[in-house]
Amino acid sequence: MSFGRFVLKRSLQGLGVVWGVVTVVFALRFVTPGSAINAVAPLDADQETRQAIAAELGLDQPLYVQYGQYVSDLLRGDMGFSYIRGQEVAGLVFARLPATVELALAASVVAIVLSIPLGVLSATRRNEPVDYGATLLSLGGISTPNFWLGIMLILVFAVEFDVFNTSGRGVDVGDVALSLIGAEPFVGTLLAWLAYITLPAIALGTYFMALITRLTRSGMLDELSKGYVQAAQAKGLPQTLVRYKHALRNTLIPVITVLGLQLGTLIGGAVITEAVFSWPGLGTLVIESINTRDWPVLQGSLIVIGTSFVFVNVLVDAVYAYLDPQVVND
Amino acid sequence: MVSARVIRNLKTEFRNSALAKIGLVLVVGILVTAAFAPFIAPHDPTEQQLDQSELPPLGFSETTERTTSQMVDGEIQTVTETVEVTPDAAHPLGTDSLGRDMLSRIVYGARTSLVVGVLGTLLAGLVGVPVGLFAGYHRGNVDDVLMRIADVSLAFPSLVLAVALIGLWGRAAVNVPDPFVVAGLAPGMPESFVLPITVVLVVGLVNWVWFARVARGEALSLRGQEYVKASRALGADDTAIIWNHVLPNAITPIIVLGTVQVAAIILLESSLSFLGFSGTTLSWGFDIAQGRDYISSGQWWIASLPGLAIMFSVIGINLLGDWLRDSLDPGIEGEGGAA
Repeated sequence: MSFGRFVLKRSLQGLGVVWGVVTVVFALRFVTPGSAINAVAPLDADQETRQAIAAELGLDQPLYVQYGQYVSDLLRGDMGFSYIRGQEVAGLVFARLPATVELALAASVVAIVLSIPLGVLSATRRNEPVDYGATLLSLGGISTPNFWLGIMLILVFAVEFDVFNTSGRGVDVGDVALSLIGAEPFVGTLLAWLAYITLPAIALGTYFMALITRLTRSGMLDELSKGYVQAAQAKGLPQTLVRYKHALRNTLIPVITVLGLQLGTLIGGAVITEAVFSWPGLGTLVIESINTRDWPVLQGSLIVIGTSFVFVNVLVDAVYAYLDPQVVND
Repeated sequence: MVSARVIRNLKTEFRNSALAKIGLVLVVGILVTAAFAPFIAPHDPTEQQLDQSELPPLGFSETTERTTSQMVDGEIQTVTETVEVTPDAAHPLGTDSLGRDMLSRIVYGARTSLVVGVLGTLLAGLVGVPVGLFAGYHRGNVDDVLMRIADVSLAFPSLVLAVALIGLWGRAAVNVPDPFVVAGLAPGMPESFVLPITVVLVVGLVNWVWFARVARGEALSLRGQEYVKASRALGADDTAIIWNHVLPNAITPIIVLGTVQVAAIILLESSLSFLGFSGTTLSWGFDIAQGRDYISSGQWWIASLPGLAIMFSVIGINLLGDWLRDSLDPGIEGEGGAA
């Protein structure tokens, strides 16, 4: 199979999963206690309004017609209407998405930048103090609830030392990019951005930092004991070349797959991190929509979250296949 | 299965690993705390003593501003004064904003965390393992359908799916009588334990897929083994083969996953109760949410201490999981669902 065919095949499978996601989310409106109309209409709507909404949504139609309507609306980008907020769901969800993506990416940067060097150092200096330190740090990292870590960071860096902001999102990363071309003073904008994003990014990124450190360490130990590494060393290749070009590259391939699978954990973690730092993203929207029983917004958010997960995983598989062509033939 | 070799490996690994010993001590400590909470907790964890509120833990004293109404020269005035609050030996870890004893709340919180963690994991395993074994053993259409369901299920983060389901289903809880208190052995303690039943169901349901994946993988590799083929040739039916031959040989990675899952579900439960999606108020996550409002006014211990309890419990269980993995099967990679 060629690389192109592999990517095509995975994309089609991904589309199948997205279809499953849509179906599950469609079914959610029937899981609510009471009739499906309760899931959509505001709690205080009178009987007449309810019937009008039901007719508009086609809730009086057979199930397969409703389902067909729901899917075709989605394909046109129509995620329904939030009667509680008086807004189109799609507009609301996509307005919140960039903040969550920004937070998730910042957390990934924090995680990757720290974890890979730490994992490599830990493996190459096995049973030395640095290895014990890294092991304890990563054990603590995978065992600490991120919302609590966020609160502790606020306690230390915002309450005691007053260095960072703890609530909301100041400027977005786009403003920082614009300031590069001179729209705003660059340093000031960058600092304003960092003041808000640093603590949430650390709170969310720590678990992944710990996880990747563990995976990198065990992967490196595994690779370093393999024949090709010993052969390369025996041949007299420089230690750094063997370690970083050969062993690390082979270590990172499985790490990427695990990260793809853990993307759900990252998004789930973002939900609660956003709640701690009042970050105006999809996570706070999910919680708000449940608390106000705004099911159309919940459904729209779930579809966007599920679809992003599938999209990133297809992307990860494509990168994986590119790095390790054997995968294509399995 | 648990053979002499397995027990020998466990012992050797335990002797050589300081981390395994720490893990065992932590886990036994939490189990004992949860089981005998009425004897360990110095106070009823739900008892409010408003005149004893916001006391700091032993060794710390806190200055705080108190506003009171006083009669000054015949007029009612509000007076704000800075007072020094000193700890009280009756409340070694201090009290919360309603004067409830922090130590007692943390001791009782261990019950909620462990019960939800263990019951949730058992439920996830009871659903996931049979489905995974069956699909992996039979392959074909059943397997395809299962793997697609698993893919869809994985596309929703556990926490997001859990809050959505609890939001839809409500926060039901049942009162389970505490045998020690009913028997009159621990007077003054709560008579029943509040089991957040919806939370147990939901955390089980969102995590079954990890068990299904691992069980399926094992069944796939075991179905081609000689002894399985031999039983089939002898005419044993599939259920009997899965039960007698596949499950016993697949149990090791399932047990290791189960340990990791207890830790993951404890984290998930604390997240849910932090966000207010729980059926009980006696939970570490709930207390952290309460304490969060007080960190800027100086009462740091209300949010900090329950978090330490979560962290040490999860560290203990993770260490135990590492020990089991390293001694039962060095080949298993440490990957599995998390909160």
